[in-house]
Amino acid sequence: MRVFLELGWFFKERKKQYAIGIFLLMIVALLGVLPPRIIGFVVDEISRGTLTPAYLMTWLGVLAASALIMYVLRYAWRLMIFGSSIVLARNLRRQLFNHFTQMSPSFYQKRRVGDLMAHATNDLQAVQMTAGAGVLTLFDSLATGGFVIAAMAITIDWKLTLIVLIPLPLMAYLTNYYGRLMHLRFHDAQAAFSGLNDKTQESISGMKVIKTFGQEKEDVEDFRALSKRVVDENIRVARVDSLFDPTISAIIGICYFLAIGFGSYFVVNGDMTIGDLVAFTAYLGLLVWPMLAFGWLFNIVERGRASYDRIRNLLAEPVDIDDRKGALDIHPEGDIVFSLEEFKFTDDDRAALRDVRFKLKRGETLGIVGKTGSGKSAILRLLLREFENYSGEILFGGRSISDYKKKKLREAIGYVPQDHFLFSTTVAGNIAFARPEATEEEIHQAAQLAHIHQDILNFTEGYNTVVGERGVSLSGGQKQRISIARALMMRPELLILDDSLSAVDAKTEEAILESLKRTRTGETTIITSHRLSAIQHAHQIVVMDAGTVAEIGSHDELMKKKGIYYEMYELQQLEELVEQGGETQ
Amino acid sequence: MNEKQKELTGRDQWVVFKRLLVYLIPHKKMLSVAMLLLVLTVLGDVLGPLIIKTFIDGYLTPGNFPTGPVTGLALGYLFIQVSNVIISYFQLLKFQEAALKIIQQMRIDVFTKVQGLGMRYFDRTPAGGIVSRVTNDTEAIKEMFVTVLIGFIQSIFLIIGVYIAMFFLNVRLALITLILLPILFWIMYIYRKYSSIFYQDLRERLGQLNAKISESVQGMGMIQAFSQEGRMQDEFNEINEKHWKAGKRNIKIDGLLLRPAIDLVYTLALIMLLSYFGITSFNSTIEVGVIYAFVTYIDRFFEPINQVMQRLSIFQQAIVAASRVFDLLDEKDEAPAQKEAAAEITEGRIEFRNVSFSYDGQAEVLKNISFTAEPGNTVALVGHTGSGKSSIINLLMRFYEYEKGDILIDGVKVKNYRSSELRRKMGLVLQDPFLFYGTIESNIRLYNPDMPFSGIRAAAEFVQADKFIAQLPDGYDHKVTERGSTFSSGQRQLLAFARTMAADPKILVLDEATANIDTETEVAIQTSLERMRKGRTTIAIAHRLSTIQDAELILVLHQGEIVERGTHQQLLAARGLYHKMYLLQNGIVENVSH
Repeated sequence: MRVFLELGWFFKERKKQYAIGIFLLMIVALLGVLPPRIIGFVVDEISRGTLTPAYLMTWLGVLAASALIMYVLRYAWRLMIFGSSIVLARNLRRQLFNHFTQMSPSFYQKRRVGDLMAHATNDLQAVQMTAGAGVLTLFDSLATGGFVIAAMAITIDWKLTLIVLIPLPLMAYLTNYYGRLMHLRFHDAQAAFSGLNDKTQESISGMKVIKTFGQEKEDVEDFRALSKRVVDENIRVARVDSLFDPTISAIIGICYFLAIGFGSYFVVNGDMTIGDLVAFTAYLGLLVWPMLAFGWLFNIVERGRASYDRIRNLLAEPVDIDDRKGALDIHPEGDIVFSLEEFKFTDDDRAALRDVRFKLKRGETLGIVGKTGSGKSAILRLLLREFENYSGEILFGGRSISDYKKKKLREAIGYVPQDHFLFSTTVAGNIAFARPEATEEEIHQAAQLAHIHQDILNFTEGYNTVVGERGVSLSGGQKQRISIARALMMRPELLILDDSLSAVDAKTEEAILESLKRTRTGETTIITSHRLSAIQHAHQIVVMDAGTVAEIGSHDELMKKKGIYYEMYELQQLEELVEQGGETQ
Repeated sequence: MNEKQKELTGRDQWVVFKRLLVYLIPHKKMLSVAMLLLVLTVLGDVLGPLIIKTFIDGYLTPGNFPTGPVTGLALGYLFIQVSNVIISYFQLLKFQEAALKIIQQMRIDVFTKVQGLGMRYFDRTPAGGIVSRVTNDTEAIKEMFVTVLIGFIQSIFLIIGVYIAMFFLNVRLALITLILLPILFWIMYIYRKYSSIFYQDLRERLGQLNAKISESVQGMGMIQAFSQEGRMQDEFNEINEKHWKAGKRNIKIDGLLLRPAIDLVYTLALIMLLSYFGITSFNSTIEVGVIYAFVTYIDRFFEPINQVMQRLSIFQQAIVAASRVFDLLDEKDEAPAQKEAAAEITEGRIEFRNVSFSYDGQAEVLKNISFTAEPGNTVALVGHTGSGKSSIINLLMRFYEYEKGDILIDGVKVKNYRSSELRRKMGLVLQDPFLFYGTIESNIRLYNPDMPFSGIRAAAEFVQADKFIAQLPDGYDHKVTERGSTFSSGQRQLLAFARTMAADPKILVLDEATANIDTETEVAIQTSLERMRKGRTTIAIAHRLSTIQDAELILVLHQGEIVERGTHQQLLAARGLYHKMYLLQNGIVENVSH
């Protein structure tokens, strides 16, 4: 129940709606006591033969009026309470999303997309349930239960009420027990289902392999086995689930039996009338819901609390990279000085970078090469200020990059990542991502520079073609080139290509590099690549090895040095240059 | 999640529903048992109040209690209660079991169908969508069977039972209460009519909302790098707001037409009962027990209706889900068919004869391709991205059906081989080696239980994968998780080689197998490739010309046509496109302009 306290701020925020809603709920519960009582009165008059039309009309009138009032009030409290609960969901969702946009990459590295999605969907749903159905169940079951028992005890007979209530706690206990059992089994069933899901996902992703080896039938057999497990686990759930209704009707049956048995005794003794007995059994029917509701309430509240804890933890996650006080509100410009002593990724003891130092004059191109894991990407990510926990300094235009407003720094950098991520909007929308206000000409221009313009014109709807589920309909090379166009749209002071030409063939690569060279004369460019042809013409090449700079210099200098770079170059060109290259030149 | 909800007319929904019912037929035995149990349960439900009525009118009102008959009634009542509990437990369980089995069959059908579809289908359908068809959509149908359909059947039986009992007690009153049915159906009809619109709208908004969150979270790096947080927040808020409004509309419609409305009808029914009994009592005597029984029956009658109404939205969802599943089952894009001829691939001579091909039936991606790969030779395909290299392999592997020209292996049309023969004799190594969840061994073995372990080890050794496998903690039993992300791309490549070598194909097809790999790993890969190619006809795509210099035939493709063909030396001497590509790849840019 603590979750109601934790959500107190929200109930306070909407105290009018909740107060009115709960008040109406109480009135409905109170009016709900009327029908059985009226039945009882009428039955008594009938059995005594004293019923008059006026008496009947009065009570039926009361019944009709209360029914109409209840209809209106029921509608109204739903609007108040359920309406508030979706306001809570909406506001929390907005907070969560805004929070997501402020989280740094290290936050996203620690978490999987699926988990974050689960918080934004299932957890929010559970909290909404707590603020809606939870509040309703709490007050309604207490009010209905209370009023009905009071009506039974006061207007009929308190002794009979006590007797009949005896089996009811057993019902609350059993349904609660089943609930817990079900929860466990349901968990297993969910696990089996998600296993089936993974299996399907894998089979579809690996369809070509399966087809290549002709193993379609075997794969279906594997699927059949897994789907059988899903059925088995769900039958285990059904075995518990099917207990609920029979148990409830068994216990209610016992209550009726007690009511009729002892009730008859009281009737015969003259303590009660027959009408009372009929009314009493009708009241019993009204008690079922509050009993069950209490079981559900614990369930809802338990889920709500766990979910709300998770959401709060997520929202409490601090924004780890923020602007300094008095941060510069200008775009950085000028030379870049990278002078780093050491940098470690969080949760990693090994230094990702050590003693990495280089200077890059404005307008020049820097190439960074090295094996996977040598630290190429780490350098770029530090430049983007994705991490700050390093020793050393990174200067851009003579000032530390941390001195600039984060927004200004990022606006000066056009970044093309390794894993080209495109949004599910049009091609034009993707290219103009950083500048939604850009004109058509500007978009086409950027596309031309990235040598994707011609490809785009060949798409069914040209620039208006929508990029599918993470760009499924585009080739890797096309996605890379759209990413490049997207970065070029910003006319960035610093352009970073993080191995972004890997899926592009040699001819296109050459053409893109050429157009960059032509148009970006005053601005700085950094390129990392596996393929040396992409960085060969850079003013300066940094060769990374195991997190540190192994060699630095221009292509010619490095070739002369006959070190790692030379070796890499030779390896790549071994046959061409050594065996036959001479012949062709 | 972000796919468009289909618009279904009432007629469409009915068609889908009828087709769903067909799935019940194989389970009619189990279902009949469940139905029989249901009839017994309803019988018990209806008899209980009747016994109490008998007690009230026969013994309580007159006030005499002969021990024998009263004990009999009490025991009878208890017996009915107890047996009812047991029967209804099995009834509920049987229905659920049947629903689960039905869904299992449907899932297997869908999955089998998916396995038989051609690559064309997978090209145009996102994987996530297909997975949803197989699992989530069928799950929605299961929910419908379990919560709506079963509940519906139970309600109908109960209503029938209750009416029979009421007619038995008092024909006139029972006739009067019949008027409740059209009222209830009318409410149900109105509710369904409006809620289906509002509810569908809400689902759609939720889909958009989740798609937006999912995409933003995945692309957050880009959003931040381009300083678009503000714009994304605005876009999200707009969707969030619309979703909230849709939610509010649903609360209103539910509040107007669900439980509050049904409860209103319930009170109306009570008023009808009391007026009838009241008015009749002015002229004749009324048995109190009958009033009791009617009040109880009317009470019982409304609870299941409330429950079914509340779950109608599940019905709606399930019908939409089912229509998507059926669309997939009706998909025509099947994998290319093979003749069941007994031809065997012995030498491995591959011949393309004037093959033209188009993915969409409009733009040809291959134009008049002809070449022959002699047994044991290597034919290399080079060209710009989109030049048609992969399409040649796709046709050879029978991922797509071709219409013009022909492809022959050992002089026999590739269409005429049995599928199993083609799969056994042709080995394909993909650009992105796909590893399955399992172990190193299971990834090399795949579903070939007969392959001895020595064969697996030999295959790994052959491609030089044994060294890194030996270094893994569990060797060949080492777990492969999440598509093998714990392995480097080079290691994944070697495992894919081993998998192919374990199958010992006659023909080797390499699809851009050498792109995207560190220079160092590549040395090991090159050596393995050379070994693998020995004695096998090989069709290879390579980005780097260095890997295919010893090929017997190099085809240079450009926009779907073979523009140059010959050996490495011949092509260099010809100083054409190949020569240019070669110079570019070696970074000898200056020479290109000459």
